[in-house]
Amino acid sequence: MNKVALTIDGLGVDFEGFKAVNNVSLTIGEGELRVLLGANGAGKTTLMDLISGKTQSTMGRVFLDDTEITNWPEYKIVRAGIGRKFQIPSVFKELTVRRNLEVASCKNPGVLANLGFGFSAATRKRVDEVLELTGLTEEADRVAAYLSHGQTQWLELGLLITQDPKVILLDEPTAGMTQAETHKTSQIVNNLKGRHTIVVVEHDMAFVREIAERITVLHLGQVLAEGSVAQIENDPRVKEAYLGAQGIA
Amino acid sequence: MLSKRHTIWAIYAVFIVLTMAAPLVMDSFWLNRVAKYLVYGMLGIAVALSWGYAGILNLGQGLFFGAGAYMLAMSLKLASATSLQQGSDKPVPDFMMWNAEPGAPTELCCINKASFLWLPFQSQWFGVLMGLVVPMAIAGVIGTIVFRKRISGVFVSIITLAVVLLVRLVVIDAQPITNGFNGLTDLGWLNVGGFEFDPYVVQTYYLVAISLAVVLIGTRLLVETRAGLILQAIRDDENRVRYLGFDVPTYQTFFFAVSALIAGFAGMLYVVVSEFASPTFLDLQFSITMVVWAAVGGRASILGACLGAILINTISATVSETAGFAEGWKVVIGLVFVLVVLYLPRGLAGIAHDLLDRLRRRTPADTVRVGDATGASQLAE
Repeated sequence: MNKVALTIDGLGVDFEGFKAVNNVSLTIGEGELRVLLGANGAGKTTLMDLISGKTQSTMGRVFLDDTEITNWPEYKIVRAGIGRKFQIPSVFKELTVRRNLEVASCKNPGVLANLGFGFSAATRKRVDEVLELTGLTEEADRVAAYLSHGQTQWLELGLLITQDPKVILLDEPTAGMTQAETHKTSQIVNNLKGRHTIVVVEHDMAFVREIAERITVLHLGQVLAEGSVAQIENDPRVKEAYLGAQGIA
Repeated sequence: MLSKRHTIWAIYAVFIVLTMAAPLVMDSFWLNRVAKYLVYGMLGIAVALSWGYAGILNLGQGLFFGAGAYMLAMSLKLASATSLQQGSDKPVPDFMMWNAEPGAPTELCCINKASFLWLPFQSQWFGVLMGLVVPMAIAGVIGTIVFRKRISGVFVSIITLAVVLLVRLVVIDAQPITNGFNGLTDLGWLNVGGFEFDPYVVQTYYLVAISLAVVLIGTRLLVETRAGLILQAIRDDENRVRYLGFDVPTYQTFFFAVSALIAGFAGMLYVVVSEFASPTFLDLQFSITMVVWAAVGGRASILGACLGAILINTISATVSETAGFAEGWKVVIGLVFVLVVLYLPRGLAGIAHDLLDRLRRRTPADTVRVGDATGASQLAE
């Protein structure tokens, strides 16, 4: 097995008695793509919130490589190497697509370090590459507010790619997308495989089949099963808990 | 043809040249008036920076203006002839003498319990320094608390509004050292290397005009830096910026403090041209008026907000002197504000940008880049 990138050890959160995530342990190898599956309320997004520091955990620990990052402030977790895409696409609506990516390309996070003008040639080249990769080259000088829903999602993916974190958390990257858009998203995600460690929360099984290597199924805040697409599709416990008697649609 | 960016810089240049040329056509009375309007223009810049670029609607900008004004006014008060005619060779403000307890020593150190606070202001440069440092420090403290707590939107406005009213009460209440309601009047002149800035000489006008040009260009450059870009990103989606690894409150506090610095500087210049500082600077009405200037001029445009302030004040001054229109004018201003908010959220600068884009589209050789660097923040309202 590869080197482990992300280790989650007995992680959980207690919202005044309600355990949205309860004692979840996972290890995700470097360069691996892991899909988190689960019914509504299974704790998938909460798990991402706990990893990225949006929600403070009440039990367990999170490691990035060998560094414990449990309950660090969000921006420090990001700087340590964990990037995140939100379920509701969030980009900078009043800035152009290119400027959006330029924000993500500022390597030094300090105010004073950024009191200079412009970007290095390497950075500009990188931004052009990301525009190409996300298919937004044509839209580079448009204001982000005018993008379609799918394009907005790709722009947010582009922000993450420009930011270049070690681990990428994607929360329902195909939510609200057409089939064609979903397919394009899977191409973008597949392109990132190997270079980044990726954790994806997703419902769309067509998309999951296109990208998934290993799947972890969450149910009521706990890990129910883990395995390949085929194993998960045939697991009777998963069928019962999540997919219903008919199996995966 | 010039790029849009160059066109915009050209407009800045024209504006600066016009302000510099004003003494050619104006007498000293009007110059002094226009100098005040230029100071208001500087306040417009401060509002545009915090509201338009940082998304922080500060309803207490007058606090920073007032802080700057009072700090310099304290020094100029001590430099005034009235402070030296109190039967002492050391300056003591006249109002302190009037209110002194019988038998109190007529020295600045101890004429009343708090008068020692005035001691360092015997140096004019200490007053100037404090006029810059105090507004920034107040903004730094408010910013750190508010932004670390992730307070945003209308709640920041309410807090800043409450703070300015609170400080106003304190200033009025601290009558022994602030002269309360009356403020600091009968001030001396700012003295730089032996030259005295009489408010009605052309040099004083140039002090203001050059200061405005420097602040205008400086602020414009500041928002074009990478930090300025990140600031606009924070305005659009704070959380996204946080998840790109930036410490958002640091950026907000930094630009909030810069905006306060500009307002404080404007306050000092105002004292130089108007020769007084008073609690009216801390009135809610004044702070809200600044927001109106910026809204009408265009809050997302540094020059727009500056011009908005100058235009509204110039028109106000002329119109309100027309008999029978003095009160009616306030209604007109209120109406204009409502109309701008409803139909022109980008203000006059928005109209200018649209015109510029339309003109440029007429020239086919030139590809129009709708959202280039400067237009970007303007377009998506």
